[in-house]
Amino acid sequence: MTKRSVEMVASPREPHYVGDGFRVHNFIPSGFRLDMERMDPIIMMDYNSKFYFSPSEKPRGVGVHPHRGFETVTIAYKGKVEHHDSSGGGGVISEGDVQWMTAASGVLHKEFHEKEWSKKGGDFQMVQLWVNLPAKDKMSTPKYQAIKNESIPRYHVENNGGEIEIIAGEYKGIKGAATTFTSMNMLNLKLKSNAEASFSFPSNFNTAMLVIEGSIQVNDKDVAPTDHFILMSNDGEDFTIKATDDAIVLLLSAAPIGEPIAAHGPFVMNTRQELMEAFNDFNTGKFGYLED
Amino acid sequence: MNNFSLTSYLTSNVDITTQEVELLSANCKLKRLKRGEYILQQGALCHHVFFVESGLMRQYSIDEKGKEHVIQFAPENWFLSDRESLYFNKPSLYYFQAIEDSVLIMIEEQSLLKLSKINASFLEFNNKLLHNHIRNLQNRINQLLSSTAEQRYLDFVKMYPDLLLRVPLIMVASYLGITPESLSRIRKDLATKNFRK
Repeated sequence: MTKRSVEMVASPREPHYVGDGFRVHNFIPSGFRLDMERMDPIIMMDYNSKFYFSPSEKPRGVGVHPHRGFETVTIAYKGKVEHHDSSGGGGVISEGDVQWMTAASGVLHKEFHEKEWSKKGGDFQMVQLWVNLPAKDKMSTPKYQAIKNESIPRYHVENNGGEIEIIAGEYKGIKGAATTFTSMNMLNLKLKSNAEASFSFPSNFNTAMLVIEGSIQVNDKDVAPTDHFILMSNDGEDFTIKATDDAIVLLLSAAPIGEPIAAHGPFVMNTRQELMEAFNDFNTGKFGYLED
Repeated sequence: MNNFSLTSYLTSNVDITTQEVELLSANCKLKRLKRGEYILQQGALCHHVFFVESGLMRQYSIDEKGKEHVIQFAPENWFLSDRESLYFNKPSLYYFQAIEDSVLIMIEEQSLLKLSKINASFLEFNNKLLHNHIRNLQNRINQLLSSTAEQRYLDFVKMYPDLLLRVPLIMVASYLGITPESLSRIRKDLATKNFRK
């Protein structure tokens, strides 16, 4: 087993708004080292760092939009989001919950701050990921996994060092809550100051971390403060994380799909032809209908 | 100018030398617009042909009751100009507004004329663009007079496949000459027909 080293620690880029409810720093695909291929199959990461939204009678958010060809994963750290889709589904993602939406052949949906939460306002902090699907699954039937925080399996770190939530994949023999189309690990580390944890993933698994709270040190060397993104090299398997403060860290490690990516707006397919079909299907109502 | 879409647009369509591209670009100006800003307003004179490098523009008029009418959208690699103002020296009846942050290349009429004189291939291509523009305007008149709103909507999405995701529906309705409620109904009817759960 060889050591996996840090390739880059990236600071958050200037935030932009998605709709009027999500003030996000985009980490993937921001070009250069973090294009859609680098973290394959994680092709997009938007991070709403902790931000106070004032009370609003009219919930802020993003209106109706389609997706095809991938999954969206929303991890709520603070605040509440309500969503609705064209097949009549909907729900609320609360603090600590994860929503894993397989858009696959096509979903129309909208996402807003939950009505009552919006009226009170408060700190809002979330991550949204796009997880690509292999060609054979891109046109499969859409589905949801609404994962409540209490149903996420946990590993308790030695010496009262905190806990590790296994959203997907596996850690120390404990399997995660979500089912995935390709092999991947998605962990939420909640480490007490000075706690340490070690990890080992195959070297070809693309691996990265996002520091949500506090700060950490990787391999007793590279330090990453709050809201920073750590891209790991593919030069080995093992690495360690030490919390230099009480810390929350989202850790992603996934087997690359290695297929061509044709992406435009909310559609991610393998070829340009499939992209054109996606636009045509959306324009002609094949994604269904949803009131704004 | 080497890195601009206008250059690759020209070199991929016209038999043109680097010097000739430079002749055209020497007098071009680059204009960056924020969303909502104008490059032309009603009453002003239009002095340029605008090439949309990036972003999205719309051309619209406002009637006596204050209602907007969208004449056309111009996304990346489209040209936009008010020919009545540019070639007939009349104050413009139109507004050219950025719907997204946009980068425009402002091309002077004189540069186009000069290039047309020395490069037959460019002249031919420019004519082809003009004929295509007239063809589209002709189709649009015919459709507004004779087609159903649904047919006009279907032609709109064929012409501009990704605009439904970039333009507020109220502007799409204006382009189609229908109310936003009618547009919603058309889209709902299509979904009822075509959506398979």
